[in-house]
Amino acid sequence: MERRAEAPPPQGLDFTVENVEKALHQLYYDPNIENKNLAQKWLMQAQVSPQAWHFSWLLLNMDKVPEIQYFGASALHIKISRYWNDIPADQYETLKSQLFTHITRFASGSKIVLTRLCVALASLALSMMPEAWPCAVADMVRMFQAEDSNVDGRARCLALLELLTVLPEEFQTSRLPQYRKGQVRSVLAQECGSVFPLLEQLLQQQDSPGFIKQKVLKCFSSWVQLEIPLMDCENLIQAAFTSLRDPELFDTAVEAVVNAISQPDAQRYVNTLLKLIPPVLGLQEQLRQAVQSGDMETSHGICRIAVALGENHSRALLDQVEHWQSFLALVNMIMFCTGIPGHYPVNETTSSLTLTFWYTLQDDILSFEPDKQAVYQQVYRPVYFQLVDVLLHKAQFPSDEEYGFWSSDEKEQFRIYRVDISDTLMYVYEMLGAELLSSLYDKLGRLLTNTEQPSTWQHTEALLYGFQSIAETIDVNYSDVVPGLIGLIPRISISNVQLADTVMFTIGALSEWLADHPVMINNVLPLVLQALGNPELSISSVSTLKKICRECKYDLPPYAANIVAVSQEVLMKQIHKTSQCMWLMQALGFLLSALQVEEILKNLHSLITPYIQQLEKLADETPNPSNKLAIIHILGLLSNLFTTLDISHHDDDHESTEVKKLPVQQGPNPVVVVLQQVFQLIQKVLSKWMNDAQVVESVCAIFEKSVKTLLDDFAPMVPQLCEMLGQMYSTIPQASAIDLTRQLVHIFAHEPAHFPPIKALFLLVTSVTLTLFQQGPRDHPDIVDSFMQLLAQALKRKPDLFLCSNLDVKAVFQCGVLSLKFPEAPTVKASCGFFTELLPRCGEIAPVGQVVHENGKVLLQAVLEGVGGQASRSLMDHFAEILFALNKHCFSYLSVWIKEAMQEDGFPSARVSPEQKETFSQQILRERVNKRRVKEMVKEFTLLCRGLHGTEYTADY
Amino acid sequence: MAYQLYRNTTLGNSLQESLDELIQSQQITPQVALQVLLQFDKAINSALAQRVRNRVNFRGSLNTYRFCDNVWTFVLNDVEFREVTELVKVDKVKIVACDGKNTGSNTAE
Repeated sequence: MERRAEAPPPQGLDFTVENVEKALHQLYYDPNIENKNLAQKWLMQAQVSPQAWHFSWLLLNMDKVPEIQYFGASALHIKISRYWNDIPADQYETLKSQLFTHITRFASGSKIVLTRLCVALASLALSMMPEAWPCAVADMVRMFQAEDSNVDGRARCLALLELLTVLPEEFQTSRLPQYRKGQVRSVLAQECGSVFPLLEQLLQQQDSPGFIKQKVLKCFSSWVQLEIPLMDCENLIQAAFTSLRDPELFDTAVEAVVNAISQPDAQRYVNTLLKLIPPVLGLQEQLRQAVQSGDMETSHGICRIAVALGENHSRALLDQVEHWQSFLALVNMIMFCTGIPGHYPVNETTSSLTLTFWYTLQDDILSFEPDKQAVYQQVYRPVYFQLVDVLLHKAQFPSDEEYGFWSSDEKEQFRIYRVDISDTLMYVYEMLGAELLSSLYDKLGRLLTNTEQPSTWQHTEALLYGFQSIAETIDVNYSDVVPGLIGLIPRISISNVQLADTVMFTIGALSEWLADHPVMINNVLPLVLQALGNPELSISSVSTLKKICRECKYDLPPYAANIVAVSQEVLMKQIHKTSQCMWLMQALGFLLSALQVEEILKNLHSLITPYIQQLEKLADETPNPSNKLAIIHILGLLSNLFTTLDISHHDDDHESTEVKKLPVQQGPNPVVVVLQQVFQLIQKVLSKWMNDAQVVESVCAIFEKSVKTLLDDFAPMVPQLCEMLGQMYSTIPQASAIDLTRQLVHIFAHEPAHFPPIKALFLLVTSVTLTLFQQGPRDHPDIVDSFMQLLAQALKRKPDLFLCSNLDVKAVFQCGVLSLKFPEAPTVKASCGFFTELLPRCGEIAPVGQVVHENGKVLLQAVLEGVGGQASRSLMDHFAEILFALNKHCFSYLSVWIKEAMQEDGFPSARVSPEQKETFSQQILRERVNKRRVKEMVKEFTLLCRGLHGTEYTADY
Repeated sequence: MAYQLYRNTTLGNSLQESLDELIQSQQITPQVALQVLLQFDKAINSALAQRVRNRVNFRGSLNTYRFCDNVWTFVLNDVEFREVTELVKVDKVKIVACDGKNTGSNTAE
């Protein structure tokens, strides 16, 4: 039978025991979720009500169920921790003794209720100490050790340990004021004298059961975080080391030791730290056994301890010169952990814990003054060379068979692990310098020339990976082993994709070196071109070719024909995915840039003719999704080619390339020649695809990229491009067309020769967009965004555009105001940018001045609405800019407008009072110099308007 | 405590916008919003420290540097960023950096 849902507790119900119990019943058992929610809300009110002091004790009655008792205990904790000031001082003692009584009673009762009661007593103790309760901790220990209680001793002991464990935890999360926090912390730290002997005794007692010892270790972990002097913890740390032998206690003991060693203050107690080294070293046998038996938990735990000591205190321990051997032994133990057998992350996960230690140790060594550093280097250079071997061993791929069984998640973790190793090696180079590269080179040489013992591909790959890790970020130009390495690369028998990838990436990492040593290009280029035909090596081979073409373009002309031919072939065979095809085109753009114009044209012709033909065919077809993709692909190839094809060399910064530079060409730029040739075809494509935003975007991208690279060389194309853009935009308005218009305005509007077509285009775009606004612009926030940016650009580069008689400045202004109210933040930002550019022109451009003076109040209202809470808080700086500009350029108007606007009740927010509005208005009107101040005022006012002022949530706003 | 510098990202801003709305419509209190924000700080710090291994190299000439309150600030001129395949040149870059070791890993869960 379906149970009828009980009625929810009415809001006005008294907070009595019965009602609380009823609500709890609903909270736990009512099938109706709404009733549950109501009960929950009511119970939260009950918990903080004054009546809670009364009903919570009754709820703790032993005949109640644990859910009800728990609520009682929890309500007590909340009252004590949050409403401390409600309690009269003369009731502290009663409260204390009541809590003690209940804790004793629950020592053998429900565990969750016991913990809550302990937390409540802990909270009470923290609020009372030290004045009202001087020896709180000692009292607690004494109370529970009293023999006269009728509760069984073991249960009392557990209850005491629970109380002592939650006390420091409650301290860490308590809301004590800062000055009290320091005071209470030092009192607690002193009181460890009452706790630690008890814990020691319990740990050392032979007959203490495991669960008690576990509790003791947890309690110790909790106490060490109170900044207790390390030497006071020494005995317990040693006892925790002993506990590591007990499998049942192992995890808790590791936690305790690591917590004790890692506390920041510990470094002040060097003698104690030194005493901890032998017990850590003493764990080596246990570690070895764990590794042998594949016990990952144990090896992980021991490694954490060794690393905690090494990582946190390497500087302090290194300073103890007379103990150098014992520290070196610790370092060697950590080395063992780094090199732990097996593959990460399948057979082991420990080795990754150690990597940060090696950074820290190196930093500490390198921070010594030169004389001292030299001594340490003598000891630690061999260690770091050994580390390189160990890391490269760990970076090796497993056998193909094994790797095949790994999940994709494991493969990804292994990749991340290798990147971490790579970062470590790069850092180690700082310490070992060029010798590191020579050692890698020697090893690789021996491996590849050893005919007796064939090497595994994994070994070769790892060595190359190490080399690449360093060469990728560090300048290896002065290394004398690179030529040898490049000589070795062709000897590698590339039997495997991973190895081939690493070979490619290594060549890529050396591309800058190749630019300085062009004679070596021929040694590696054939390998790259060969790899280009392998789809499995797509990313590595294409990116390497691109790097080489970018860095070495002036030395590539002899190879250009071959590179173009191979690239063309792989493009035609469709070996690579779209993005790699795009990279390849960029590579070819770099390559062609260094050729003579006629050579460029010849290559361009052969390179793009097949695509042009294909595009012609596609342009004749009826639009469908598959030919759309093909069109976008071809247009993308062209844009990427034109992104890097730059014969002007205006941004070359190669020092030695002066002599190699070609003289600046006379006559048309080859890119312009090609663009003009394909212009009609592009128009034809557009005529069919005008409605499609993606195709239009791809077309615009070609011109956008070309303009960016060609700059003034693009000039011959301006008239026809303006015309095409005008046609496009008046047929179907698209944001990308406005963006391209903006770029043309930016680059060419100030040149008299180009002004007429650009002006015509600007006026056309504006008038079409205004029509769009009349129809409802909400569907096109992107167009509005781009339009606002165009207007701002026009005002910046060529304000004269606003003098045209057929530009409706008033309509443009109103559109700007509308855009300020859009929900899309970028659009609002763009319109703020427009007004920030417009307002300073009030004086110089009459139509602008007139419109602003007549309509400025509407703008101000929109700005205040935004500040009042309608716009995102992150936009406030931009709104402040408008207010600042209004104040600077239309002061007399602003003072009237702001008064009028603020008079309206509840505007811009019902949360601000007339006084607050008045203050804000005065502040704004007064500040005409310091923009930062205006931004601060706006921020403060917006918080008031949103009801967020003074909350911790917005403290950092 | 996790760094708060990621609050001023698209993700952080969007979160704060949503929290603002929830506070203004009185669906949550500012205290709850603060807890959410602190949780965001923790999560994004740990995610960026643990889950991201993408690398971008860059070089440029160092104009100014300072180290104040454990925050490094570098202003670089003429900087080249190199990712696997992209090279981006920028006139001026300001880098604000905090110690990654202090985040994520050592906060007690």
